[in-house]
Amino acid sequence: MTARDRILNRLRANVGAANLGARPTSADRRHMIPLLEMDAEERLALFTREAEQLGGFVYQLDANEAVEQIMDLLEGDRRVLSWDDDQLPIAGLRKIFDSLGVAIAAPGDGDVRVGITGVTAALAATGSLVLESGAGRPRGASLLPDRHIALMTAAQLHKDLEDWGAAQKARGCPAFREASNTVIVTGPSKTADIGHQLVKGAHGPRELHILILPG
Amino acid sequence: MTVEIQSNDFIALADIALRNPDLQHAVAAGTRGGYQKRAETMFAHSREHGEHMRQQAAEAKRRALRNLPDLLETAERNLSANGWQVEWAEDAAEANRLVLDIARRHKVQTVAKSKSMLTEELGLNHALEAADLRVVETDLGEYIIQLNDETPSHIVAPVMHKTKAEIRDIFIRELGMEPTDDAEAMVAFARKMLRHDFLNADMGISGGNFLIAETGSVGLVMNEGNGRMCTSMPRVHIALVGIEKIVETVEDYATLTQVLPSSSTGQKLTVYTNILNGPRRADEDDGPQHSYVILVDNGRSQIYGTDYAEALTCIRCGACQNACPVYRSTGGHAYGWVYGGPIGAVLTPLFVGLENAQPLPHASSLCGSCKQVCPVDIDLPRMLLDLRWELVRDGHSKTGWDAAMKAWAIGMTSPRRFALGGATARAGQHIMGEYLPGILGNWTKHRDFPDFAPKPFRRLWKERNNDRA
Repeated sequence: MTARDRILNRLRANVGAANLGARPTSADRRHMIPLLEMDAEERLALFTREAEQLGGFVYQLDANEAVEQIMDLLEGDRRVLSWDDDQLPIAGLRKIFDSLGVAIAAPGDGDVRVGITGVTAALAATGSLVLESGAGRPRGASLLPDRHIALMTAAQLHKDLEDWGAAQKARGCPAFREASNTVIVTGPSKTADIGHQLVKGAHGPRELHILILPG
Repeated sequence: MTVEIQSNDFIALADIALRNPDLQHAVAAGTRGGYQKRAETMFAHSREHGEHMRQQAAEAKRRALRNLPDLLETAERNLSANGWQVEWAEDAAEANRLVLDIARRHKVQTVAKSKSMLTEELGLNHALEAADLRVVETDLGEYIIQLNDETPSHIVAPVMHKTKAEIRDIFIRELGMEPTDDAEAMVAFARKMLRHDFLNADMGISGGNFLIAETGSVGLVMNEGNGRMCTSMPRVHIALVGIEKIVETVEDYATLTQVLPSSSTGQKLTVYTNILNGPRRADEDDGPQHSYVILVDNGRSQIYGTDYAEALTCIRCGACQNACPVYRSTGGHAYGWVYGGPIGAVLTPLFVGLENAQPLPHASSLCGSCKQVCPVDIDLPRMLLDLRWELVRDGHSKTGWDAAMKAWAIGMTSPRRFALGGATARAGQHIMGEYLPGILGNWTKHRDFPDFAPKPFRRLWKERNNDRA
């Protein structure tokens, strides 16, 4: 008999005997009280408030302004980590970078200061970005650099994690099956391990810039 | 190779902790912060919303445990479909051997490890080091612990017991850091030291906060990003997951991955809420090439059949530690094994045997704070009482204690004897002052003995009735 069989047999012998406390054993679940419904404008306002409260920088820009903002944030750097062009909500960004002399570094290059990604969804109630890994969407771009620039559109906003989960279920859970990794980013990397003092930029990006484009 | 068990020395270890002013300062600040932030976040929308969320989390974990064997099989199937290689380990020795086998198979020399309480249970680092592998703990707190050759003292804040100055001294002594008192500079220094290890490690090891049966995913929460590094950069990744970590659905996961940080650090979500679904796909540029899940029992299936099965619903948030007046005074090391605080006082006897952890069920005032803050509503006071009952049943109660309880019963069952006892105590305090003599001195060693009221209640009552008459 394998370890697997021995473990499962021991559990099966005790199913029903387990004392899980005096609680209803019925299958009906107590559902959480959903947060208030909100329209697109309120959703965007809530997202912005939450993300800024966590120390993120949120901008609402058109595509031209977004390119300017990115160049400002590059502060003269000529190499970035980035998701592929077709994964970003600015058309032809790679070409624009070429014309401005900015090169895309190899994924996994740990010496690049700025990373540019899109998002696959965003969550208003927690100010979070959802990033699914996949072709043209390397994980390192949102992890290795000091400064993470995330490009998104307002249409990608869900109300909260529950809403996003329901949307996932309706589509067969691609973020849990097709993507090898999904990360929900809520603010810049931080730690409070030294003297209970909050410090940003522990191992992931110290700065999180969220550029919201029309659409 | 297992971890040393010192839980029977709780009184002596607590005594050491109570005499350590740095520890007192650090643990008080850490637990107080966590306790306050939890309340602010859990009830940010409304008390009702927070309370419902907590009840929903409690239901989700119990529903999962009720179907544990079936859900484990479902999880195994879906994990495999996601490309994970699934292994099972009955105990610490088997889990450690499986990790070593995988390391050898992939010619691993350096391991980057993200924080995992299960691997503390297993003594995994020692087992790997004994096989000449280099293991680097990458959570900042765990990194400091590893440098100082200690064990974590808190479930989510492993180095809660150390002040900034102590950590500075460890960095200077062990790593030759330029002296600084600036926490930001110290974090930047550690970031630089560890960055090299992330990019050059052959294998990453993580735990798992949740195992989602429906999709075959491992849920991992973190704030620093080290866990993302460990599970993304090295070519091999192993997730060691306790079999009780299972949740049934994506909806259950969504609830639990929110109540966990709400309860522990007062965050609505951790900075990185990671959903790991196996190795990188063929068209991806990064991510591990080989992904393993080791499902670890290590005593859990034995606890499953007992009156203490409820303890298996624990999601390791540390809220009960932050809330506990005993933990707040002693810190976690006094409990003498991996888990401290109320959940540790229950889990330790279950994992290592009650005879090896006799003082722990008594290391509680039964104030009920732990149950009140628990995100999955574990009845910790009930289990502490049941464990005390077992201690008495098995003859582990102290004879002195039995005699004292008998004397107390004699005193309390007659008004005259009660009055005599009160008068003696008042007179005694007059003579003794603030320190009690002999064995009673344990009571006043670390706390003040309150003055008795000059007039006992019985006399006040009598006088009141006389006035009225």
